[in-house]
Amino acid sequence: MNKTIRILLTSAVVLALAALPVFSSGGNLLIKNGTILTVTKGIIAKGDILVLNGIIKQVGQDIQAPAGVQVIDATGKYVIPGIIDSHTHIALDGTNEGSEAITPEADVGEVVNADDTAILTALSGGVTMVHTMHGSANPIGGPNVVLKMKWGRPSEELIVHEALRTLKFALGENVKQSSRTITVGGPPPRYPQTRMGTNAIIRRELLKAKVYMEEWDRYNKLKASKTPPKNLLPPGKDLRMEVLSDLLRGRMVARCHDYQATEALEFMGLAKEFGFKVQAFEHAWEAYKIAAELAAAKIGISVFADSWAYKMEAAEGIAYDAGYCAKKGVLVSINSDSGERIRRLFNEASKTMKYGGLNETEALSLVTINPAIQLGVDRIVGSLEVGKQADIAIFNEHPMSSYTRCDMTIIDGDVYFDRGQYLKEREEAAKQAQASKKGGRP
Amino acid sequence: MNVRQHLHLFMVILCLFAFALAGAADVGPTYAIRKAKIVPVSGPVIEKGSIIIRDGLIEAVGPVDKVTIPEDAEVIEAEGLIAYPGLISAHTNLFLEEPTPARTAETPPGPAELIMGGAVQAQPAQTADLMIFKQLKPKKTTLDGFLKIGFTTVLVAPNRGIFQGQSVVVNLNGEKAETMVVKNPLALHINFTTTRGGYPSSLMGTIAYIRQSFLDADHYANAQTLYAKNSKGMKRPEFDPFLETLLPYLRDKKSVIFQCNDLEDIKRALKIIDEFKLKAMLTHANEAWRAAAVLKKTPIPLLVTLDFRPPNGSMYVNQGEDLKKKAETEIYPANAANLVKEGLRFALTTFGLNDGSTALKNIQSAIKAGLPKEEALKALTIQPAQYLGLAQQLGSLEPGKIANVILTKGELFDEKTQVEKVFVDGILWKF
Repeated sequence: MNKTIRILLTSAVVLALAALPVFSSGGNLLIKNGTILTVTKGIIAKGDILVLNGIIKQVGQDIQAPAGVQVIDATGKYVIPGIIDSHTHIALDGTNEGSEAITPEADVGEVVNADDTAILTALSGGVTMVHTMHGSANPIGGPNVVLKMKWGRPSEELIVHEALRTLKFALGENVKQSSRTITVGGPPPRYPQTRMGTNAIIRRELLKAKVYMEEWDRYNKLKASKTPPKNLLPPGKDLRMEVLSDLLRGRMVARCHDYQATEALEFMGLAKEFGFKVQAFEHAWEAYKIAAELAAAKIGISVFADSWAYKMEAAEGIAYDAGYCAKKGVLVSINSDSGERIRRLFNEASKTMKYGGLNETEALSLVTINPAIQLGVDRIVGSLEVGKQADIAIFNEHPMSSYTRCDMTIIDGDVYFDRGQYLKEREEAAKQAQASKKGGRP
Repeated sequence: MNVRQHLHLFMVILCLFAFALAGAADVGPTYAIRKAKIVPVSGPVIEKGSIIIRDGLIEAVGPVDKVTIPEDAEVIEAEGLIAYPGLISAHTNLFLEEPTPARTAETPPGPAELIMGGAVQAQPAQTADLMIFKQLKPKKTTLDGFLKIGFTTVLVAPNRGIFQGQSVVVNLNGEKAETMVVKNPLALHINFTTTRGGYPSSLMGTIAYIRQSFLDADHYANAQTLYAKNSKGMKRPEFDPFLETLLPYLRDKKSVIFQCNDLEDIKRALKIIDEFKLKAMLTHANEAWRAAAVLKKTPIPLLVTLDFRPPNGSMYVNQGEDLKKKAETEIYPANAANLVKEGLRFALTTFGLNDGSTALKNIQSAIKAGLPKEEALKALTIQPAQYLGLAQQLGSLEPGKIANVILTKGELFDEKTQVEKVFVDGILWKF
């Protein structure tokens, strides 16, 4: 790598650390004169958005800034709801508890890493919220967590408590390969090593959870009775079973990694048998084969746009998957699953216009309101509407254009990314670094 | 006098001789340190004073005209020298054998295990019952290195696994572990680490494992209590040595020390401590300043290391060498100074540093980064003594306390300062 570029890059990140958020408006600002793509309430040309205390107060035209409210000039720009990534693994210390096949006790919400620079990368692509997930090594992984990309804030302030509680499941090759792999010093091979085994072990664990729940029910009943037995001991609390009980009681929903249609149908069978809710299938390359079933069961999908066939089980994936399913009434979101693709989710979403024939608003929905619905946060984010939280991205061109870029990202009315200022600071830092190198400082 | 009488006399003499011998071994020497400047830590500085040490304890401390020098004392003229209490490092892994290399390959499970399915896993090494005292191998070179910069007391903790075992506090008075012990066991040590080749292999797994272990211990305790009350007609609960070891920490509130390798570990530990109502301290904590807001809300004893290497996941280590270097030389050394600014109390430790010279250099770096010298002194004397429950015995120069005293030429922690003499348990250490 060219030395200058390297210096540039290093200093850029260092600077980014120093000054965050780029400016704090105290949650009060007025975005003026932009093309507003509300996603749910149409398009407003030359429109304004007034934000007070982090909440969208007004969306319209010719809004006057109350005293002391900062004004952002969006002339010639596109203002959209902050992008939401329905499936990623950023901002975590660790992704998989892969030593065992069933680990619902391993909660990624416990290992949020607010220092992860992927948060900054996400912001640069207009992303304001992510569903960051347990990996796909286990049939039952663990609980996932929804975060706002508040770079520079303590980890606990990133967590979105309003979101649905979700539990990661995984089917197919990742589970099988994780069971098979023998790494030096790593965990020994484990069960299951086939798709039928995967289905079986999930059923077995859910049956266990039912027994566990019954045991507690019996205890609670006895305890509440008029003459509880004197040797009555509460059952031991088991974190693994507690999480599965929450799923079976409807306090959590399943998000299931799957590639092939057959295994998805099997999993839907399990959901029906045990009465839990599948919120979405992840990747779902063959969802187009079962779009009607998914739509009927109100199960969404969270998918890539056009990167199919990178392994055998993705061979029957098609780029039309997302667009086709969306038209068939399946709730579709486009996800990144990566700390890099996360900065260009808008590009990924726009591909569904070519493949599947979605219009601009439908395509934009795949990374805004649709993931918001999947995460259960559409009451508070996902579109530009009065009363919602002010998570907003400003693009220089239409976000579904190939030539667009994100210029500013706002969360709760605070600016967390400002491309103009960022570039300026980066240049200055590079100059300084160059000067100090020339000055012969060690 | 017949033979029998002779024998009697002989026996009596023998007995007396034995008594004399035993007495000689039990009574330590008496010293009088004269005309030193005395920094007792617990009180005002005495510009010219004397300290009387007798039989391992401090007998008297005061201005020269107020302290009578006993006749039997060996007088140490200390004009121009400064006396301080010996320093305490409240967390080290000194005197432990080098860890055995990690297993390089896992024995693959047999087909039967695979068919059985599910969790074919080794349980994490449950070494909660390990008394690290039993593994102490004191070495003179290490002792000398720490004594030379003024340390006279250290806590030695086990260093492997999640439930690591129980620590001991020792005085650096020689190479015999039994004689060194001040308090054993001191605390149960827990680290947010993972297990190679088994469960848990991830940090989130470890957190769940710690939580589950305390839940299990709680259930175990309930079962035991119930069984003790109604043994007749009740099936006896199965004995579990691991949970048995956790009981005193869960039920009797003996001290637990959580190793917090970064900011997030501090918050994690606080959550678990609150959940199970543990009596606890936090160690390592070299990102404690980043958690200042939380720590102010939930005051807890902090054992802050002088090891300034940023944690692996830190944003300061993944963005190029320049920032990493800055982190080690400026950002992390300012941890203690920042804690003082935030009004937080803490003890400093040499955890992660295996030789005295690095420890001294790092104390100096912390001072350069803004830690007031007198705060550094407190954090290495009275504060750790209080945290370890040893404030009656250690941490300041007061009559009745253990005679751990150092004499320096120049102010402690200054670059050119030499530690001239070190008394441990009232015995003058020979380098």
